[in-house]
Amino acid sequence: MLRLSGVSYRYPGYANPVLHDITLELAPGEIVGVVGANESGKSTLCLVASGLAPGSIGGQLTSGTVDIDGRPTTGRPLHELATEVGIGFQNPATQLSAVAGSVFEEVALGPMDLGLPAHETVARTKAALATLGIEELAERAPRRLSGGQGQLVVLAALLAMRPPYLVLDEPTAQLDPEGTRLVGEALRRLAETGTGLLVAEHKTDLLADVCERVVVLDRGRLVAEGPTGDVLADPALEGYGVEPPSAIRLERALIARGLDPEVVRW
Amino acid sequence: MTRLSLERVGFVYPDGTRALEGVDLDVEPGASVAIIGQNGSGKSTLVRHLNGLLRPTEGRVLHDGLDTAGRRTAAMASVVGIAFQDPGRQIFARRIRDEVAFGPRILGRSPERVAASVSEALELVGLTDVADQNPYDIGYSRRKLLALASVYAMETPVVVLDEPTTGQDARGMRRVGALVGTLIDAGRTVIAISHDMRFVAETFGRIVVMERGRIALDGSAAQVFAEDSWPTLASTFIEPPLPARLGARLGLGSTPTDRAFLEAIAARSGS
Amino acid sequence: MLLAASAAGVARALLRASLLLSLPIAISVVLVSVFTRPGTTVLFTIGPFDATVEGVDFAAQTLVRLLAISLSIGLFILTTEARAFVFDLERRGVPPRFTFVALATIEAVPTLVERAATIAESQRARGLDTEGSVRARLRGLLPLVGPAVITSLTDVEERSLALESRAFSRPGRRHLLWSMPDSAGERVLRAVLVLALAAAVVARVAGLSLPVVG
Repeated sequence: MLRLSGVSYRYPGYANPVLHDITLELAPGEIVGVVGANESGKSTLCLVASGLAPGSIGGQLTSGTVDIDGRPTTGRPLHELATEVGIGFQNPATQLSAVAGSVFEEVALGPMDLGLPAHETVARTKAALATLGIEELAERAPRRLSGGQGQLVVLAALLAMRPPYLVLDEPTAQLDPEGTRLVGEALRRLAETGTGLLVAEHKTDLLADVCERVVVLDRGRLVAEGPTGDVLADPALEGYGVEPPSAIRLERALIARGLDPEVVRW
Repeated sequence: MTRLSLERVGFVYPDGTRALEGVDLDVEPGASVAIIGQNGSGKSTLVRHLNGLLRPTEGRVLHDGLDTAGRRTAAMASVVGIAFQDPGRQIFARRIRDEVAFGPRILGRSPERVAASVSEALELVGLTDVADQNPYDIGYSRRKLLALASVYAMETPVVVLDEPTTGQDARGMRRVGALVGTLIDAGRTVIAISHDMRFVAETFGRIVVMERGRIALDGSAAQVFAEDSWPTLASTFIEPPLPARLGARLGLGSTPTDRAFLEAIAARSGS
Repeated sequence: MLLAASAAGVARALLRASLLLSLPIAISVVLVSVFTRPGTTVLFTIGPFDATVEGVDFAAQTLVRLLAISLSIGLFILTTEARAFVFDLERRGVPPRFTFVALATIEAVPTLVERAATIAESQRARGLDTEGSVRARLRGLLPLVGPAVITSLTDVEERSLALESRAFSRPGRRHLLWSMPDSAGERVLRAVLVLALAAAVVARVAGLSLPVVG
């Protein structure tokens, strides 16, 4: 279990925390969505859940703890944490290492950094490419991939570290519809292999499709949490600057006009 | 006001990749056009022809019937302003206000006119209260709005927006929508590349679907998202917006927007 | 050296590259040393300048050295894949961090070129004249350089976070997946060349005058 208990976090050089008293649990194999307006703290939550804040970027947990299977993440070496929780961002170009000549090398980089024997690195790399269904990209140059392909390679590279948990900050924001669909499918596959996923997204249609649970952030506080259907259908959602999924939006409009909302459900 | 025309435009990149083939496109002054299609279908290559950033390998690009070959991009920028996808590729000023003023200043507008267009643009995207801050003090999504405002303030008759809604939340989406609406109301031509089918269907009068360097579909939202277009859309991995899919399933005809769907269903319930 | 190059099938490319690179320097070296080197035996005079035998001698020596340097660098670049070379360095004990920086530098060039191109596009679309007079171009420098510097910095920040998730900061060696084929013949040749180099250095220090050879 990846657990945040009563976590408040302050960036270095700032007087006040940007996250306040966040309590959140992520189980293996579970996909939890994070929604909220821009600058509501979604990205910060991702950094804190992954241990990179404060681990890499500094600042301070002013209250609470983040722990994985009961072990606090603060103060642990980042290369050790990387085998327990990985983080992905929205832009594939800046996440790819820029030193790999091929996708295979790119995905192999993490296991190599772990100091694994070569045969183990190769096995993990092949397995990660297979899980995401991108074996055919292995020889391609990372710089020449489309956005969607790039994000799949990023996910494979994280997967090769075999972390039980992954945190993804708007993984589809810069993708076309096809790229978004590919990443959506990849999230489901990862969950099926037992990885727990925390996914911050604006695309509530996507979250409605893949998540079991959703949490809502507003100005650094967790203001709602529950099963995806309930949270995304909550009328309060729009007040937090979050667009409900298309189906829910249409249902509501039908009800408002005294029409039967049943037609939207299929 | 400017009429844009592409006549049988073809373009091949220096590495031999063919990006456009036989593109005919005529955009009337004041039109609102969305260009959709998969990455690599030629959308960005096409809009780069509108102000001479790229020159056609075959065919011609015309402004008001005059061939643009030989006209410098810097000169065409007073006619066609383009806001590209990544705001990081254009933001350089230390203050948000100065960033927006860069375009109109370089076009030689009077200081009064620059000040007026800058205030209007900032107001439209909700950045007035941070106008004196550094662009990197605000988050990515608001920096994106800043880039849109920077092109809006150039007061060009044609405005091109490349993926204007990337990373926007509900409020940001409304702001982008308002910016496009204001441009349309002012009679300026708006051309946007977008992957957001709801935004496209609700905001633009005309939708052009690109596939492998060619125009595959060209028409209103009702035409492009109608059921008989779906096979073409599917071949370029576009899924029609939900109301279009529901409308077709319920036999309501082509209802690409929430409003069209609700009206159609209300009309049927009423009859 | 040319023999080695033709064995590798790059003689023509090597000659072209090293001539292109060294020609401008060579011409200036010849002009400067032939006419300004002090000497006693004057060959001929152009205006206030005397061409001396000592000057010609010095110019010839410098030229040969220059050619030797540019040919050996050229041969190295043309016959060695940079990535393979860097990985081999790591295999021989150079720390992974150095390898990373070296590889990142090699890969950074095309990225930078691409970035510069998109920035120039963005600013030209806003009316910046990058094709006009020198004055206009100078004025346009900040809008071109600014975004390049800022995005390079923000990209590095993002990339370093992403790399932390892949255990980049772990100290210690890595097991590389690739190794360079290294035949017995190559090892012998390498040893012979190292010995020759040592001999040349010793001879030089001992004051023996050797003809300069590539």
